[in-house]
Amino acid sequence: MYLILLPILFPILAGFAILVFPKEPDRRLLTATAGTCLVITGALVLCTLLSASQELMLFHLTETLPIYFKIDETGITFSFLTVIVFICAGFFSFAYMKHEQNEKRYYGFYLMAFGVLNALCFAGNLITFYLFFELLTLSSFPLVLHTGSKEAIMAGLKYLFYSLCGAYASLFGIYFLYHNCDTLTFTAGGVLKASAASAEGRFFLLIAFVMILGFGVKAGMVPMHAWLPTAHPVAPAPASATLSAVIVKAGVLALIRVVYYIIGPDFLRGSWVQTAWLTLSLTTVFLGSMLAYREPVLKKRLAYSTVSQLSYILFGLAVMNKEAFTGGLLHVLAHGFIKGTLFLIAGAIIYTTGKTRVDELRGIGKEMPLTMWCYTIVSLGLIGIPPTGGFISKWYLATGGLAGDIGIFRYLGPAILLLSALLTAGYLLPLTIQGFFPGADYDYTSLHRQEPCHLMTIPIVLLTVLSVLIGLFPNIVVAYLTNFVSTLL
Amino acid sequence: MIICIILLPLIAGILVPLLPFHKRWYKELFLEGAVILNSILVWYLLLHHSESTFLLAHFTGDLNISFRVDGMSMIFAGLVSGLWPFATLYAFEYMTKEEHENTFFLFYTMTYGVTLGIAFAANLLTMYFFYELLTLVTVPLVMHTLTREAILASRKYLYYSLGGAAFAFIGLIMIIVYGNSTDFILGGVLNLAKVGDKTNILLFIYVMAFMGFGVKAAVCPFNSWLPQAGVAPTPVTALLHAVAVVKSGAFAIIRLTYYSFGTDFLRGTWAQTTVMIVVMFTIVYGCSRALKETHIKRRLAYSTISNLSYILFGAVIMTPLGLMGAITHLVFHAVMKISSFFCAGAIMHQTDKRYIHELNGLGYRMPWVFTVFTLSSLALMGVPGLSGFISKWNLAEAAVDSNNPLAYAGIACLLVSALLTAIYMLSIVVRAFFPGKDFDDSAVQNVHDPNWKMLLPLCVFTAFIILFGIHSQPIVNFFYRVAAGIY
Amino acid sequence: MDFVCNFPFFSILLSLFSGTICSILPGKAAKVVNRLVLIAVGTMSGILLLYLLGTGESFVYWMGHFPAPWGNEIRAGVLEAGMALFFCIIMYLSMAGGAHKLFDEVEESKHNLYYILINLLLSSLLALVYTNDMFTAYVFVEINTISACGLIMIRQVGRTIEAAVRYMIMSLLGSGLLLFGLCIMYDLTGHLLMSNIKESVALLMQNGDYQIPLIVSVALMCIGLCIKSALFPFHAWLPDAYGYSTVSSAAILSSLVSKGYIFLLIKMIYRVIGFDIFNNTRIIDVLFVFGLMGMIFGSLSAIKENDIRRMIAFSSVAQIGYIYMGFGMGTQAGMVASVFHILSHAATKSLLFIAAIGLTEVSGGSRKFIDLTGSGYRNKWSGVAFTAGSLSMVGVPLFSGFISKLLFAQAAVQVEGKMLAALIVLGISTVLNAVYFMKTVIRIYATTEDAPYPCMTFKDMKPYAVVLVFFIIVNVILGVSSQPIVNMIEQGLAMFA
Repeated sequence: MYLILLPILFPILAGFAILVFPKEPDRRLLTATAGTCLVITGALVLCTLLSASQELMLFHLTETLPIYFKIDETGITFSFLTVIVFICAGFFSFAYMKHEQNEKRYYGFYLMAFGVLNALCFAGNLITFYLFFELLTLSSFPLVLHTGSKEAIMAGLKYLFYSLCGAYASLFGIYFLYHNCDTLTFTAGGVLKASAASAEGRFFLLIAFVMILGFGVKAGMVPMHAWLPTAHPVAPAPASATLSAVIVKAGVLALIRVVYYIIGPDFLRGSWVQTAWLTLSLTTVFLGSMLAYREPVLKKRLAYSTVSQLSYILFGLAVMNKEAFTGGLLHVLAHGFIKGTLFLIAGAIIYTTGKTRVDELRGIGKEMPLTMWCYTIVSLGLIGIPPTGGFISKWYLATGGLAGDIGIFRYLGPAILLLSALLTAGYLLPLTIQGFFPGADYDYTSLHRQEPCHLMTIPIVLLTVLSVLIGLFPNIVVAYLTNFVSTLL
Repeated sequence: MIICIILLPLIAGILVPLLPFHKRWYKELFLEGAVILNSILVWYLLLHHSESTFLLAHFTGDLNISFRVDGMSMIFAGLVSGLWPFATLYAFEYMTKEEHENTFFLFYTMTYGVTLGIAFAANLLTMYFFYELLTLVTVPLVMHTLTREAILASRKYLYYSLGGAAFAFIGLIMIIVYGNSTDFILGGVLNLAKVGDKTNILLFIYVMAFMGFGVKAAVCPFNSWLPQAGVAPTPVTALLHAVAVVKSGAFAIIRLTYYSFGTDFLRGTWAQTTVMIVVMFTIVYGCSRALKETHIKRRLAYSTISNLSYILFGAVIMTPLGLMGAITHLVFHAVMKISSFFCAGAIMHQTDKRYIHELNGLGYRMPWVFTVFTLSSLALMGVPGLSGFISKWNLAEAAVDSNNPLAYAGIACLLVSALLTAIYMLSIVVRAFFPGKDFDDSAVQNVHDPNWKMLLPLCVFTAFIILFGIHSQPIVNFFYRVAAGIY
Repeated sequence: MDFVCNFPFFSILLSLFSGTICSILPGKAAKVVNRLVLIAVGTMSGILLLYLLGTGESFVYWMGHFPAPWGNEIRAGVLEAGMALFFCIIMYLSMAGGAHKLFDEVEESKHNLYYILINLLLSSLLALVYTNDMFTAYVFVEINTISACGLIMIRQVGRTIEAAVRYMIMSLLGSGLLLFGLCIMYDLTGHLLMSNIKESVALLMQNGDYQIPLIVSVALMCIGLCIKSALFPFHAWLPDAYGYSTVSSAAILSSLVSKGYIFLLIKMIYRVIGFDIFNNTRIIDVLFVFGLMGMIFGSLSAIKENDIRRMIAFSSVAQIGYIYMGFGMGTQAGMVASVFHILSHAATKSLLFIAAIGLTEVSGGSRKFIDLTGSGYRNKWSGVAFTAGSLSMVGVPLFSGFISKLLFAQAAVQVEGKMLAALIVLGISTVLNAVYFMKTVIRIYATTEDAPYPCMTFKDMKPYAVVLVFFIIVNVILGVSSQPIVNMIEQGLAMFA
């Protein structure tokens, strides 16, 4: 029964132990320890997911505020993504972090963030969720400011304060929900009291909107997206990968939990909140792509891309029907694998060549063919070209949008998604083209192969393969998701 | 018994300069012994109290000085007596670097007795008496360094406190004239038959008295004395200007609101609206000023201003739940703020640094201090699992429960303030632990954690921050019973 | 008639007579005589007070057994006896406290002159307290003025002469107005004896005759006494007079002389015009407003001052304002508060003056705040006493000031229209009091380590320190066991009617 605590407490305690270890240990020892911890945690998560015990009432914070864990399908989906990305990026960092300082601190917080994310996936009620949501911010911002440059520290603080701002906005809602719900345990269909919903409906719509905005901060939704393109590029590449692939997904998870498990989609469907949410998410989709398109620095471009792609998911959630919701969850996975890969690749490029701007990377495909092949494949996936994962998820999103009862957004939504896909192609593919076809005037003599070490390439390839697999064999996942979505909606 | 408790610290304080202590060690033992003994007596009294009122003296007519132990006084006295021994221990170490030790300990110990007097006061007059006395015994502590700055600060402190008391006094008069008695009775003592059509005047006087007591609780616009008073030695700033004195202000307001005027009389009136707006403004104002401040102790002082208004916000919701929220924050904030102040004091003691930009990289040199500081910062922000979350939760729930739209806005203020708290506290933490790439470690090579006398209080307080955060149920239940009038 | 009933007459005569004797005695002997007289009068007043408390009613004493309207009458009630006793105590303490300074301030050869004046002052005060006859009152008002003037002038420094002249002019203006009002009153009623006038006034009011002249006469007498007791805005003479005279004089002038006039005014209100009639005139509103303004402006002037004596003097203006505010409320409670404040202020103000002198002594004789820095450490007794006095002024519980504030506020609450104004001004005035008194207290305890002045220890100033202790005790007694005193005042006021 207490098994569920293991994947949460083990990495947190391990991370803490690494942090308080009095002196900077030998690098090998450190990576070995961290690696072992990562693998053990992964195994623990798997054990937990497979084990029979699915819930745990740990203790009561106050009489009415229980800390409660429960594993459900949404949690499993996110936890699956978390484990894979964290382990891959973790191993990647063993190589990448060679050129950074203070590795002890990095691995400490990395492991803690891992544990906190697991807890977030398994949280069974809103209070527990909020607890770990805050802890996630606190344990991940040291990763952002890790390099310690002035810019990085400012970015770290920006991330911290934006996230807290969002968390507090949602806390505002939690206070009211707590009072007007029988329980804050996640229950499919929502737990808002019917009496409150009818008597003070307008007020609760406002509350819902505030919470969407609040949790939307973490998911990089306009207007509070500004932290994302600042924080991602300055963090070490593996940290950006986890940030972009998983940690920002915590915002998505939060929105799913609040909208589908606490407030209930029925209450919001057709209200102005839904309209506003759709508008915001579509604006973000478009805006993120546009900004990415005109951004010269690779990591920053990827960060803007994250802004845009996350709002694909949010669009799927905001439509509030089965297809779109399934599409959203699929995109969580697809985007997680893809963006993780992309950031790791960007890290590999920086690590080997030291170059950050796209226009400096002519001929990179000749130097690092394997890496760039992976880049190309996942880029196609993100654009949504079949048979990659991105295609499946976007398909579901678009059909969901078209089938949705959402007025003009029925057409506007898919149209913008399509437009954004074009832009995605516009900002991702130039690197492939330049990389593989540097042009006739390129000085081929300066070229030499410099594929990164295996510790870097293996995670990249692994994630690429996963993203392709989702596209090739979507049925298992789709079946799993539609199965449980039908119970939810 | 109560008299004994109040007098013991007073006498012990007076004895400090009179007794010939050959070694500093004897003095420490004497003081610590007296304080601990008194704390034990207080707790003994709290656990074995009787309902009866102890009458000390008649003042005039039906006005008397008398003491009683009720729920509120149990909470305040328990809090104060819990903190004092640790603060004294801390002060021994801190004061090794300051002069005029005897004077300091004289007044420091006396303050203990006076604060207990406030806690155990059975009626408004007694409380007022000790309230004034508190001002007087604490002024020498603010003045302690006798620098120009300290003199100015103590002057301001006196003007503000005595002036505030003058207006609170008018509230006392109203209760004497329009109340059945001046005793503290939950629900108020106003005689509505006597009040008749003078409701509005009484409300006006309530607002005046609120602001009067509010001076000690640093309500805007009467808050500027508090940051200035930070020139006092840190044990004073930490214990008195984060707990004993300022909380006496909040305590007095709670007494005034719940036990004298009565919430039934006040709830829903313009007076409630007025004071609530003032309090909400202070919450945000204090935080924003803290943000601008670069002196550690002054920043914490502004933070105190904001947090005191949390307590008052709970109090002016004027429901039992609101009172419970106020009490929770009163107790929890005391622990959080005293530990952050003690950290600031430890930093000043060990390094002589007092501005935030000087703290770069100290986190690794003073790991204990900064870990405690981080925890108390997180608690002040209201991170779940630490005590601040619980108290904010209680406050917010009371506000939601009150069905008062203004209180809803108050929740928003609380959260804005929480965000600002995060900014001004965590920026210190980040500086200390993440000094940045270019940081030259050799500059702080000689800095290290202070000795056990300073660390012990810090660790104990931190333990309580966590304990209250995780397992607050028994104590919050007790608060609830107090607020509901069961105790 | 009991023998005790002669005491008022005896005490007036004794002090008058001793004044005359002093003129032929050397300074030292005059001092002894003065002290003895004070003790004797005090004892007699005390016995009288006990007697009156026992009988519970006042008595009228015919001088020379001539009944009115030919004879002159003395009247004694609880309030009069109490006041006389209190005046003696304060005067004794003030004299004792300032005695050691007298040699610095007054030429040796004039010491006996000084004691003549003091004795005369005492006798006039006693007469003002006891008399039942308006004209006698006027005569002693003049004697009082002259002796007070002498007391100011006896320290022959330039400023005191100027101050004395100013005091003289203002006082004469005051007594002139008093006389004027008295004449009109005599015209209207044909009597000079208080009880007789009261009957006639009541008759006039009943018939509705001569309303305006009556009001004018009352107003003139009031203004006259207001000027003499330095009610704002007639206080211009006060700061110099109190600020530069010898310390005992200052203490006595501020705490007793002005109070004598105020007591006369109370007597007039009750015994001559009648409490209710007086309250129905607009005059009380004027007094109320001037009282409030005095409370504020007196304190404001005090804040601006940087000479400790003048600051205390200005504070008197504020305190007199309190008393008149009490009159202005027009209720019994207000009156009680005012009378109590007369006591409380007398006790406190003389304490402050006496303590201040101790502080200036250890600061090279300078009275400027800048020199007084840290003087509280150099002369601990004065420092503590000054602090106690200040706290009493600010109204900290345990001291007399708190009780008078309490009484004023309680009285104010019962007056419909004036309540808020009175309460708010009371609050503001407390704040202002806190500002200047606490500023001074902090100043005297803020050290300058290397002050060039010598310290005073208990050995250097035994009598002085004892006096200070007594003053503090008086203050605390007033503050702690105020209930019997308030009862006495109520009883005394009831006897007036």
